Amino acid sequence: MQTSTIAPSSASAVGFARYWQYRDLVRNLVTMNLKVRYQGAALGFLWSLGNPLALIALYDIVFTHIFRTALHNYVLYLVVGVLHYNLFAMTVTQSCESLTGASGLLQKIYFPRILIPAASLLFNLVLWAVAIFVLVALYPFLGGVYHWGLLLYPFALLLYIAFIWGLVLAMSVLQVEFRDLKHMVEIAMMFLFWLTPVVYDLTTIHSALFKAIIGLNPLTQFFDLFHALLYQGVLPQWSNVLAAGVWTLVSLAVGMTLFHRKARMLVEEL
Amino acid sequence: MAQHAVIVEHVSKEFILRHNRAMGLKTRFLALFYKGKRERREHFQALHDVSFTVEQGEALGLLGHNGSGKSTLLQIIAGILQPTAGRVVTHGRIAPLIQLGVGFSPELTGMENIFLNASLYGFRNKDIKTRLKAIIEFSELAHFIDTPLKNYSSGMQMRLGFSVAAHLDPDILLADEILAVGDQAFQDKCHDKIAELRRNGMTLILVSHSREQVNKFCDQFLRLEYGRVVETGRLEQNPKESARWLTAL
Repeated sequence: MQTSTIAPSSASAVGFARYWQYRDLVRNLVTMNLKVRYQGAALGFLWSLGNPLALIALYDIVFTHIFRTALHNYVLYLVVGVLHYNLFAMTVTQSCESLTGASGLLQKIYFPRILIPAASLLFNLVLWAVAIFVLVALYPFLGGVYHWGLLLYPFALLLYIAFIWGLVLAMSVLQVEFRDLKHMVEIAMMFLFWLTPVVYDLTTIHSALFKAIIGLNPLTQFFDLFHALLYQGVLPQWSNVLAAGVWTLVSLAVGMTLFHRKARMLVEEL
Repeated sequence: MAQHAVIVEHVSKEFILRHNRAMGLKTRFLALFYKGKRERREHFQALHDVSFTVEQGEALGLLGHNGSGKSTLLQIIAGILQPTAGRVVTHGRIAPLIQLGVGFSPELTGMENIFLNASLYGFRNKDIKTRLKAIIEFSELAHFIDTPLKNYSSGMQMRLGFSVAAHLDPDILLADEILAVGDQAFQDKCHDKIAELRRNGMTLILVSHSREQVNKFCDQFLRLEYGRVVETGRLEQNPKESARWLTAL
């Protein structure tokens, strides 16, 4: 029989086991979102491919026919960049509304609040998985090389997801207090896209200032990992791995702290 | 030996009421010049030092006018709100029927909503499958279970919500005037179901406006006024002479 104490000071020392009990809630929330999102659409689930494929086609036309890029296998470079950027942009943007959108549930019953942003992240990962299958299928045709280093890709991806998770936690809980956040994030995502080596390569940048700004963008570190493994077919540099790891720790620390501090009083602000 | 199911110790709850809360820049700017548009904060004490204990299997009736703090108290017991001071200890699974249709998503079918609703209580989908038949049968919605919830009437949604909660073997049922909704036949059915659950040891906390209903259902009652306990008492449930008042404490 479960015993719970509700008091202003009681630390929420709930272990992972407590969340695990609710695993079907996360599952149901994800399937529910999928169903609602693609309800009645003839192509259904496949629409999750629409946006990234359109972007890749568009940038390929612009950067091979209008501005000439020096990068060989440019489509592969683009696919790797756009897919990973999309995961970041979609997840972080949608996380802003995860808690505010679930106010109906949060106000009526208690369940671990962290499961709402977790379901939001998982929902985006499921959509993104379709896109990554396309990359896997097209990989040899786009000029990708098979090498042992590819086995490291899942770890790089996990690190990236952990980095995103920290931001998801922070955004979801901050949006409750600052309702402007979502609009700011949407605009920030447009700028961030061009401050991340997605359509260009760092070596083609001449302005030292711009280079420095791009270097400060945490996404750059992750994209260097992905480009090394999936595009160049080499092992990433240790300095990149280290920098990405540090950014992940920072993001997780900020996200977890904010969430645990705010989650308890959340309902009153909704 | 009776075990405490719910212990409420010196619980107080203070809300900060924000009159004219400035959400946008325009309002904030205007507030510099117009006093009336300024945000006023007021500390509103919804509950003052409320304490009581409910033994396992007992039923407590919460009486009081609108705004007396009954629902706030229920939300604190359910763990949805945090008390400003004091503490609440509960033993067992709580089913809060605080508003009708917990977790109901209008786009999904009744069936899908059963699973969503039950998982909010921490149930596994496979456990629900074994109870599915009973839930649907009780709600009398078998014919509509595959249609989206947005086509349900509010009474139908209520029936589904109650049916799910009642079939999840709650140890503690928090009912916020839920028994006042629905047609007479279904109300009676709900009453019977609650009586059955109580015979199996379920604890009930019932919010009600009607003394009559509390007399009928509860072993003890507690009346709130402006967030303070003004009256408590025990009721004897006598099958022959149902609803006879004992002297209030």
